[in-house]
Amino acid sequence: MELIREAQQGSRAAFDTLVRQYDAQVLRLALHLTGSEHDAEDIHQEAFLKAYRYLGNFRFECSFYTWLYRIVTNLCLDHLRRRKSRREEQSILVDSSGEEIDLLSNVSDERPGANPARELDRKLLAQKIKAALDTLTPRERMVFELKHYQGLKLRTIGEMLHTTEETAKNTLFRATRKLRTHLTELR
Amino acid sequence: MKCELAQEKIALAVYGELPDEASPELDRHLAICDACRRELEAVQALHQAMYLYPVTEPSANLLARTRLRLEDALDTLPRQSWMVRLAQNMLAGAGRLRTAPVAASVLLLLGIGGGAFGGYHLAEKRAAANAAIVAASNEDLSSAQIANVSSIVREPDSETVEVSYDRVVPVKMRGSLDDPFIRSLLLAAAQANGDNEIRSNSVGLLAAECRAGHQCNGGPVRDALMVSARYDRSPAVRRKALAGLEPFIAEDMRVRDAVLEILMSDGDPAVRTQAISVLQPVEADSSVRQVLHTVAVEDQNPHIRNASQQVLSQLPEIQ
Repeated sequence: MELIREAQQGSRAAFDTLVRQYDAQVLRLALHLTGSEHDAEDIHQEAFLKAYRYLGNFRFECSFYTWLYRIVTNLCLDHLRRRKSRREEQSILVDSSGEEIDLLSNVSDERPGANPARELDRKLLAQKIKAALDTLTPRERMVFELKHYQGLKLRTIGEMLHTTEETAKNTLFRATRKLRTHLTELR
Repeated sequence: MKCELAQEKIALAVYGELPDEASPELDRHLAICDACRRELEAVQALHQAMYLYPVTEPSANLLARTRLRLEDALDTLPRQSWMVRLAQNMLAGAGRLRTAPVAASVLLLLGIGGGAFGGYHLAEKRAAANAAIVAASNEDLSSAQIANVSSIVREPDSETVEVSYDRVVPVKMRGSLDDPFIRSLLLAAAQANGDNEIRSNSVGLLAAECRAGHQCNGGPVRDALMVSARYDRSPAVRRKALAGLEPFIAEDMRVRDAVLEILMSDGDPAVRTQAISVLQPVEADSSVRQVLHTVAVEDQNPHIRNASQQVLSQLPEIQ
């Protein structure tokens, strides 16, 4: 709390320390959600610049983590909505230089006993799962990401998304139903 | 328990979100319902399968690159909120002008293209000529208004003293609202201490100029309106300044940030209500939505909470 107050009073060192406490997690979330290092960097940049700009408005009404993640999730939702409206093909991962990471490439594995066929299957499945995730609405995707992949409680997710725990529960249920519909062939 | 309800609770149970008191009832249902048992197995399988698209840790390079980029961006920002610095600069400048005696002494005769403005003469056409003094007091030093005594030095062994002071000479200036000197007088009057009416008049005129599209791009007038909208002690003046900022809300991020700050912090409900109205062209912006969400929950005024909620409910992308 003292660190936050110092940052609010203008201490750049205090703000930098705050950033270091959270930025890897933010980047991890953005990277998994967007599948793009470039987009993840943009979300990270914009989130912490907004946090810097609006830090004076934080009045300890919730945890700083929740407050920060409200900013992050808003930016992620904006990204998901823009992507959905552009109808981009998102079943392919890209690295920071914009090159596609080909999930179908047969990566040579030097480990003894490695099974290339199984590796290929695994990558294909990952691609299918990502495509299924892309069929969710932005809000369903966000709730599922925060619950399944980031392990947050639905109550916390509700606070971050400015909604109730009950709504978050319903959204999670809808998301799991949709994913099952698209992934039945995995059973 | 019906299957439809059971299947909702199965999803919660798999994710560890089912309240403890609900588990026994679900267990009893699963003991007698094959379909829901298959549903449980399916959700558990889904839960496992989703980890085939694993979360990867950002590489050290990515993290370092991202941190460096953020540091560079933060280094180029001003150390202090630009609004605070701007306000400090403006108020310090107004203090140097000693605007209380200036405001009391200067009467402005302004050319305005139509419309009445109480207390001032009107011109039918916008005056293009440079501002000119139309009246000034005579140069009798003894009758001139004293603004500030800065030093008093008594000559040794003498009845003689030397006094340094500032003299205020009442002036009437006539000119166009586009005239730079008239503008500077209006800007000084916008920060005047003491007299709400003078500030209200000058801010109102500057705001009208901006709404009419007359030479408000960037520069001191827009800055002055932002400072007045945020910091003037009169709510009526703050509202006038807000009205003058409305044309710039879409194009100027600083104006948008200032209005958001006003919505979050202003003590007057009418000002906050006007801020919501001014923000409507940019209500889809994520930072605007975030503030509206906060205001919809936390504002002390129920009308403002409702107004924010109405704006949010009308946004097509909210699910």
